[in-house]
Amino acid sequence: MRSRPTTLLAAAGLIGAVALSACAPGSNSDSGKSSAPTGQVSTDPSKMGDVTLTVWDQEIRGGQKAQITELNKEFQAKYPNIKLDRVSRSTDDLNTTLKLALSGNTPPDVFQANNGRPQMGSFVKAGQLVPLDRYADAYGWKDRYPESVRQYSSYSTDGKTFGTGSLYGLPQVGEVVGIYVNKAKLQKAGVSMPQTWDQFQQSLATLKAKGELPLVLGNLDKWPAIHVFGTVQAQNVQPDAIRKLGFGQKGGSWTTPENTKAAQTLVDWVDKGYLSKDVNGLGYDPAWQGFAKGKGVYLIAGTWLQADLGKQMGNDVTFVLPPSASGSPAATGGTGIPWAISSKSKHPDAAAAYINFITSKDAMAVLAKTDNLPIADTAAQQAPNALGKDVFAAFGTAVQKNALVPYLDYATPTMSDTIGAALQDLLAKKATPQQFLDTLEKDYSSFVSSNQ
Amino acid sequence: MSTQQVARARRTSTSPARARTRSAGPPGEPRRIAYLYLLPAFLVYAAFLLYPLGRAVQISLYDWDGNTLATWAGLDNYAEVVTDPALRAAFGHALVLVFFYAVLPLVVGLGLASILNRARVRGLPFFRTVIFLPQVVAMVVIGVAWRRLYAPDGSVNDLLRAVGLDSLARGWLGDYTAALPAVGFIGTWFEIGLVTVLLLAGMGRIPGELYEAARLDGAGPVREFFAVTLPSVRGEIAVALTLTVIAALRTFDLVYITTRGGPGQSTSVPSFEVYNRAFQQGRVGSAAAVAVVLTLIIFVISFGITRVAEREGA
Amino acid sequence: MRVSRGERLANYAILIAFAVFALYPVLTIVVAALGPDDAAGGQVGGGVLGLHPENFAKAWQDGHFGSYLRTSVVVSATVVVISVTLSILSGFAFGTMRFPGSTVLFYVFLLGIMMPSEAVVVPLYFDLRTLGLTDTLWAVVLPQVAQSVAFGTFWMRAYFRTSSRSLVEAARLDGASTRRILWSVLVPLARPAIVTLTVLVFMWTWNEFLIPLVMVISESLRTAPLGLAFFQGQYTQGFTLLAAGACIVATPVVLLYLFLQRHFIAGMLEGAVRE
Repeated sequence: MRSRPTTLLAAAGLIGAVALSACAPGSNSDSGKSSAPTGQVSTDPSKMGDVTLTVWDQEIRGGQKAQITELNKEFQAKYPNIKLDRVSRSTDDLNTTLKLALSGNTPPDVFQANNGRPQMGSFVKAGQLVPLDRYADAYGWKDRYPESVRQYSSYSTDGKTFGTGSLYGLPQVGEVVGIYVNKAKLQKAGVSMPQTWDQFQQSLATLKAKGELPLVLGNLDKWPAIHVFGTVQAQNVQPDAIRKLGFGQKGGSWTTPENTKAAQTLVDWVDKGYLSKDVNGLGYDPAWQGFAKGKGVYLIAGTWLQADLGKQMGNDVTFVLPPSASGSPAATGGTGIPWAISSKSKHPDAAAAYINFITSKDAMAVLAKTDNLPIADTAAQQAPNALGKDVFAAFGTAVQKNALVPYLDYATPTMSDTIGAALQDLLAKKATPQQFLDTLEKDYSSFVSSNQ
Repeated sequence: MSTQQVARARRTSTSPARARTRSAGPPGEPRRIAYLYLLPAFLVYAAFLLYPLGRAVQISLYDWDGNTLATWAGLDNYAEVVTDPALRAAFGHALVLVFFYAVLPLVVGLGLASILNRARVRGLPFFRTVIFLPQVVAMVVIGVAWRRLYAPDGSVNDLLRAVGLDSLARGWLGDYTAALPAVGFIGTWFEIGLVTVLLLAGMGRIPGELYEAARLDGAGPVREFFAVTLPSVRGEIAVALTLTVIAALRTFDLVYITTRGGPGQSTSVPSFEVYNRAFQQGRVGSAAAVAVVLTLIIFVISFGITRVAEREGA
Repeated sequence: MRVSRGERLANYAILIAFAVFALYPVLTIVVAALGPDDAAGGQVGGGVLGLHPENFAKAWQDGHFGSYLRTSVVVSATVVVISVTLSILSGFAFGTMRFPGSTVLFYVFLLGIMMPSEAVVVPLYFDLRTLGLTDTLWAVVLPQVAQSVAFGTFWMRAYFRTSSRSLVEAARLDGASTRRILWSVLVPLARPAIVTLTVLVFMWTWNEFLIPLVMVISESLRTAPLGLAFFQGQYTQGFTLLAAGACIVATPVVLLYLFLQRHFIAGMLEGAVRE
């Protein structure tokens, strides 16, 4: 017994000494952002000497993997002096590791960073990304990528304004969330392709009555339901109101009758059994894999599944924009995850050359060939198959009619966690539509008010 | 949580008591050179465990995003541990895990060990090897395996359907009510072997005469268990509880691999909150406060269980 | 003790039931890993005797396990060598010598056995980052050495205390130096205790997840459990190759356990009781 007080005292003293003597955390970190580099950039990779670029991407699914493998190979063949050290992992794992890596001393040179405030926005704010404007001028990116595309990876240099300012990333592919339809099953059930939102909802009821699973959704990963809710929301809420919420601009509100109606619709779908059973227990990948094998009639998902679904389902599947309630289409979408450059990279010129290479006109052809949706020069590309044609057409329509609204998780640094968990709660009926919207409103408004 | 800390923790639970009784006469002759022999170990230990613990206490008093200069927050981060519903829920979940990691394996292990101890069955060494095996398998591997078993089309549901309990079948890790117990049950599976083997060792040391005497008194298996077995393995029970309770409180790998805290926040635990806050959300001060509270709880429980066992033994 | 035939049968039934329970999740993985690749169409038949060992080769390649295992070997070996050596030295001091402050110092070491790595990983990461040491082998190795040394000191002290008194005195009468007493007299005798310590430290380091998850950025410094976690996120087409990857990661420790199980069980259970 004798020793214990002494021990505790000694330990406490030691710990206390550390706590008091050391200076405030962060006092010796270089919190000052490095000022944006200026001057001439080099655009000829072959003259950059021997360089190794560490590249982190999340191009792991069928068509994505095929295109990046092909493009990396071509890049290596053309510029043998630049060695690519490629690391690929799932979107989730990339997100998790990227945050730590960028704040560390040895981040990757080039990487994919999600457009929204949780990722790109916070990286910009922390001064961890190179502004790409100089490269955009040198390579003429602004001609190839219209403003409507660039806005998705543009921020003010302090990271406060999303949608305008400097360019921080360049995407390879376009994205729009629409509805994959198993045509064969739809026909078998005697339902014709819905042309309006009411017809779509009606068809859900008909399919359910015939014993089919109307709508496939696997929401174990928390984010897939964002796309389904976004789709429903786009039929109920004005696009401009959604853009305010999605870009985290001030003046929007979640707690509106329109948003309530959208949330209520989703809950009704759960109640009526339109969605997969165990919707929160089913993984995203098993869900679409099941759809590909003939389970379920509709799948609300993005164009990134084109390659995999097209390969497995052939002519049985088609892709349409959500049939709209108002006559003018509205759909969640924008760009694929853009490529960005670390401000600690020792070879920003080589990194930019790499990004330029994988987003060039030739690269767009490779993207189309490998079942991806090229974001630039889409009309000039040949769709590889029937589903590809549907996807290209849908994206073309969406862009032309200015129908794209941003992903809702872009909105605030914490929104992807907030809305992911809140939607799981909503689907599991742990939260009412009102509580669900209150949760989102709280996150949105506290961010907007602190972001002045 | 790794087996490492489990085993490390168990040392402390019995040893201070035992060491103390013995340290009345320290061994060897007085020698100053001892410090030289201690120095290298102490330096690494102090630099990479003691000092960081002090820094954790310090950081917990600040509001810090990990990059810019921190601002003094006093005890706000600790107040948050008590008031923030997400953190309270996380500590609540840890309590549920304690039931699955510690209480359940102890009950099962006591039954199993006393049955095996009564009848010295053949094949016991083999059984010991098998049932202890989960302890040496990496938690990541265990998580991968159980994710498969819990999948909507996995073995657990197959089993339920086979016995006619179709209504219970579900996607276990994605179900609000089932996910936490499902994660906890992996802990039960993981700890049963450790607890059983530990208790078996303890029971093996009970003198046969005690049982003879009990039988002469006409005691059946049940009374024998409560009169002889249970009191004799009190020390082992304390050790087992300390190990498994700490393992439950420290759960990280398993949650990271199987659910990442979901669905909703229904399986978030303190260690996962530490990781999430420090390295994902940029709330380093809050993360440090959770870590310090967790450490304190673990210290208190380790000393507490040992003291209780000692007092009852005295 | 005599027990009835019925009781004995019941005992065997219970034994088998729990053995199956303990093994089933592990066997699920092994069986899935050897089955036909479910992502590649899942054709039954073919392979060697209906088994498909080629899955391991495919998983090895797809999951980059070669690099991960190499890192794991380097990390584990470094942690084992350093921490066992330091533990022998400090255990020797605590176990055979008397010096002011020994009790307090010993309890300070004991504190480290209880300390969860979650508590220290946050400050460690940020401090090492400031020093420019994150993303190095040392950032993964040294924190684990510190944890292992806390336990190792305790473990070796217990051994030296029980075994050495008269030996040390005899050797000293022969005029042996302190260093010689340790390395030529005590250490050879302590081999079983050292082997136990070695296998435990090896297992803990091999299986550690949080420290390498946080401390390392470069792919070339990621250890096997991390590799498996990333492979799980990436490989979504089926289960076969994931199971094969899981087998690859678990095998080194499980093999060691099967050969040296006495050391594992003794180390984790009996040591403290016997002390």
